[in-house]
This record gives sequence, structure tokens and C-alpha cells, in this order.
Amino acid sequence: MSAEIRYRPLVAALAALTLAAALVSLTVGYARLDVAAALADAFAGRSTAAAVVLEQIRLPRAALGAMVGFSLGLAGAALQGLLRNPLADPGVIGVSGGAALGAVVVFYSGLAGAFALAMPLGGVAGAVVAALLLYALVGRGAGTMTLILAGVTVNSFAGALTALALNLSPNPYAAYEIMFWLMGSLADRSLPQLWLALPLTVAGWALLLTSAPALDALTLGEDTAASLGFDLGRLRAQLVAGAALAVGAAVAVTGAIGFVGLVAPHLLRPLVGNRPGRLLLVSGFGGAIVLLVADIVVRLIPVHPELKLGVATALIGAPLLYGLIDRMRREA
Amino acid sequence: MRGSPIAGDGVAPTTHAPSPRKVGGGRAFAACVCFAFLAAPAFAKPQRVVSLNLCADELALRLADPGVVKSVTWLSQDPLSANLAAKAAALPPNDGHAEEALTYDPDLVLVGPFADPASTALLRQVGAPVVEVGAPQTLDGVRGQIRDLAAALGEPQRGEALVADMDARLARVVVDPSRPRLTAVVLRPNGFTVGPGSLVDEILARAGLDNLAARLDIAADEQVPLEVVALLGADVLILDRDDNGAPSLADAALDHPAIAALAGRMTIVSLPARLWTCGGPEIVEAVERLAAAAAARAGAATQ
Repeated sequence: MSAEIRYRPLVAALAALTLAAALVSLTVGYARLDVAAALADAFAGRSTAAAVVLEQIRLPRAALGAMVGFSLGLAGAALQGLLRNPLADPGVIGVSGGAALGAVVVFYSGLAGAFALAMPLGGVAGAVVAALLLYALVGRGAGTMTLILAGVTVNSFAGALTALALNLSPNPYAAYEIMFWLMGSLADRSLPQLWLALPLTVAGWALLLTSAPALDALTLGEDTAASLGFDLGRLRAQLVAGAALAVGAAVAVTGAIGFVGLVAPHLLRPLVGNRPGRLLLVSGFGGAIVLLVADIVVRLIPVHPELKLGVATALIGAPLLYGLIDRMRREA
Repeated sequence: MRGSPIAGDGVAPTTHAPSPRKVGGGRAFAACVCFAFLAAPAFAKPQRVVSLNLCADELALRLADPGVVKSVTWLSQDPLSANLAAKAAALPPNDGHAEEALTYDPDLVLVGPFADPASTALLRQVGAPVVEVGAPQTLDGVRGQIRDLAAALGEPQRGEALVADMDARLARVVVDPSRPRLTAVVLRPNGFTVGPGSLVDEILARAGLDNLAARLDIAADEQVPLEVVALLGADVLILDRDDNGAPSLADAALDHPAIAALAGRMTIVSLPARLWTCGGPEIVEAVERLAAAAAARAGAATQ
């Protein structure tokens, strides 16, 4: 029962940290902005330049950082629970890459102008295809090696098709935008993008978070979980759909940001007694914090143009992934 | 010029690594070409010209006799982003590669300032005369480049006429000296702005606008975050729009809602990229449009 008591304060503390990181994110930027004055202007309905910067540039950036980070952390924890493998990060296994391809095809073909939700839905469709391809290979208790190899395959294929789609665009800038889609960025995102991604994202979160009891049961083995009354086919569909919705909508706005779904669950797993059900919410907040901090860091490092977010997350995530694989190899 | 295929004046997206050669070198080369043709008919105009650069395409189409230019880049054929698309569309397009140029057995190949040095070397190696069209950073440089290219094409009078026409139109753009100075900032795709010491800076000055980017301590072409642009407090925001209709993140950056929200505070002018991407005569139209926008803004301010 002691773990039960510790769980709620942990969630509350992580939620508070997420809020704090988002507030810090609002105050960090390239222009000197009197945030208090800008806030006063915004609430008074005065559209001063400062209020516009706060509302239209800084606010969507901070909110999207929290939202996308939460999605990646949560999806990472959920996929790890489903595949029972701590390396199942949406970026590593190719779900983010598939989502980027879907969003790229919709955007550069001009379909995005057809209806507002086209682009996030394109991301979701790409994520679904990648997740299904992956699941077909590693679904039934395949080893870590298979998971990573499948991820490498899906990732590099999606990356190549993304580059191809960009090169096919008649816009001369398009071919140069591969970095955004492969590494991700929150620079100059906007409020409408936040509103478009939010409904799909929240639907994805709901599907993932409600899978917690089934994920906990799954740790006892598939047969035991089934005997406890959990429909495993339904659980898989729910998790794949949830991860695709959350990750697809996120990637369509920010590009594929790697390693967040690896780092957050890894750091927080010991704090929830290795229970994958509890790891979900905790990992979501952890991902939000990781991404917000990374986004603050890329704005504080004095390089121009700004570092892509995936660079910052890979600097932390790649060594961690290396260490994890090394440890799993020793234990095997 | 990082990350922007058309950043900088006269840089076409089909080109790659920087090459510091100046047009003067091309002029000397053109002299050699003329010499080589002396044995042939008295007029030593090149008869099979291939252009591998958007900016060279348009100058060649303006200066050469009909039928002399055998191929231009595909970029010149886009009616929404090129100035002479109708003329260009009648010609076979190329992607800016040396081997495409050689299929026309050219007696003159025009390349851009950022042409791949390997391609240029290859062309020279097989004996095709190459003239490099530069990216002039001043109006004088534009005049000089038109004259140099006209000479290389054997049409010096057409070059002089084009320059005279430009100057006559520029002379008609008069900025009321009693008008208070207006400030402006340029926002190009991908969030690039244009600093001092560039052709665009001179275009702004001719239109009676002070380039606020001078305050930012930046190089001629550099990316600036949108929030910096928003807080600069310029009178006029000039958006460089490449309206060829195909979407890109670079162009989407100009549609950020923060810009629309600032529309009440500054005059927003959209200037098509085709008017100021190259150092050609079309920049006069850019000056005319900006001067008109500045005059309208000044008029609104005094009312």
C-alpha cells in the first residue's frame, strides 16, 4: 500500500514540474519581452506587439512542448508495456518516422489545404501503418534484436520516402526541409496548429491511459492476463490506435522528435515499482518535462539557426539507449 | 544563406557550392570566345547558348536574339515565380547539370554564382565557353552585370538600352524629402531577413525605407526569430512571397498568425520573389512597389 500512497504525490509533483517548465518556457526567447507587461496587455485585450508575441508565438510553443512531450512519453511507456521491451520508443521503432511521412505527403501534396484536420490525420495514418508493420514482425514475444532491427527498417524506409516526397515537391524550399521532419522543432509554431492537434491528441491519451489495468495484468503473461478477463486483441488495438493518435498528431506539428519516449519511462520506471500501468501517466508528465527543458536549452544555446529539438533529445537519449542495450546484452 | 535555396540575390536552387568567381572572369573568357570565332563570320555572336541558372536565364532571354538561347532551367518556366515564363516555356528545360548543357553543343554556357565547381570545370574541360552570372550586391553591380553579359552575348547595345531603361524608371521614383523616414524589415521564407550591404538594402533605401535589420548586427542574409521581427517595431513589414502554389514550411513561416495580428501596427507588403531574387531589371518594379507602399503608409500616418 505504501506504493499507492507515493503514487499520487509523484503524479502531483511531476504535474507541478511540467507547469513550472512551461512557465519558464514562456519567459525564454530571442527577444527581450516584459512577460508581466505582455500578460497585462493580453488580459486587457490590448494587441500590443508584446502581447502578440506572448499569445501567438511563446504560448503555442510552451503548450505544444508540454503536449507533444506528454504524448511521446506516454506512448513510449504504453508501447514498452505492450511489447514488454524497454527499448520501444516511438522514435526508435519508427512510429514517429511513419507519422512524419504521413504528414509530409499530406502537406506537400497540397492536401492539407483541403480540410483543417488533414495534416494531423495524415500523421496518424502514417503512425498506424508503421505501428502495424512493426507489430506484424515483433508482436508475439519477439526478442529485442528483432524489435530494434524492425525499427531500423521502418525508420530508414519512412525516412527515405519522406526525402523522396520532399524532393518531388515543385517548391524549391521543400527539399531542404527534411531536417525539420526527421529532427523536429517547436520554433514559430502557432495556436491554430495547437488547436488542430489537441482533439486527436486527447483521444489518443484517453485510449492509452485507460489501458493501465490491462498493461499491469500483461506483466503476468498473456495467458494469465487473458484468464483475468482482459481481451488481448482489444488491448493491442487500443494501444496501437492510442499511440498512433497521440504521436501522429504531435509529429504532424513538430516533426519527429526522438528519444523522449525512451528517456522518460526509463528514468521514472523505478519510482512506480516497475508497474507499467502506473508508468503511463507518470511517463507522460516526464516526457513533457524532458521536451520543455530541451526546448528551453535549444533557445539558450547561442547558435543560429536554432538547433533542432531532436539534436538536444538525442544528446541525452542516444547514450541512454546505448547503455540500455549494453545492459540487456549482459543480462541475456 | 544556410537552409534557403533561394537566399541571397541571384542564387538559384539548382546550384550548390559557393564559387567566388566574378563576372569579370567571364568577360575575359567571352573575349576569348570572340577571338575563337574570328575566323568564322564577322559577327561573333554565340549561336547556341544554354543557361543553367534562373537569373542567367532571364537576362539571356532579354538580351539575346530569339532562337539563340537553346535551353533554360525548369525554374524559369513557372509562370508564378519567373518573369519570362512564356518565353522560357517554349524552350526545353534543364535541371542545371553540365551534361544537359553539353547535349546542345553550346558555344556559350551561363552558370550561376553558386554553381557546382565540378560542373563548371567539366564544361571548361570539354571546351564549352562558360560565363558566370554573379549575385551583385549593389545597383551598380546590377548595371555592370547586364553590360558584361550583353557583351558576352555580342549584344552590347541591348545591354546599354536595358540599363538606360532601368535608370529612367528609377529616376521617376522620387521620395518626398520632407516625409519622415519610415523603417522596414524584410521577412523571407524560412525566417530569413536581409541585412545592410545587400542589394535588397539598396532597394529599400531607393524606396525611402530604412532597413531595421541594420540594428540587429547580422550578416547580409540571416535567419531571425519571428518574435524578434514582431518586436522590432518597423513601419513596414516586407514579405518575400514565392507564390508558385506548392506548399513548404519555409513559405508557411510567412503565414504565421502573429504576422496577421500585427497588421494593424505595421503596413504589410507582399513582394513576389521573382522581382528581387535576381539582380536583373525587374528589381526596378520592386523599388516602385515599395515606394508606393511607403508613400501610402506615410500618407496614412499624417492624416
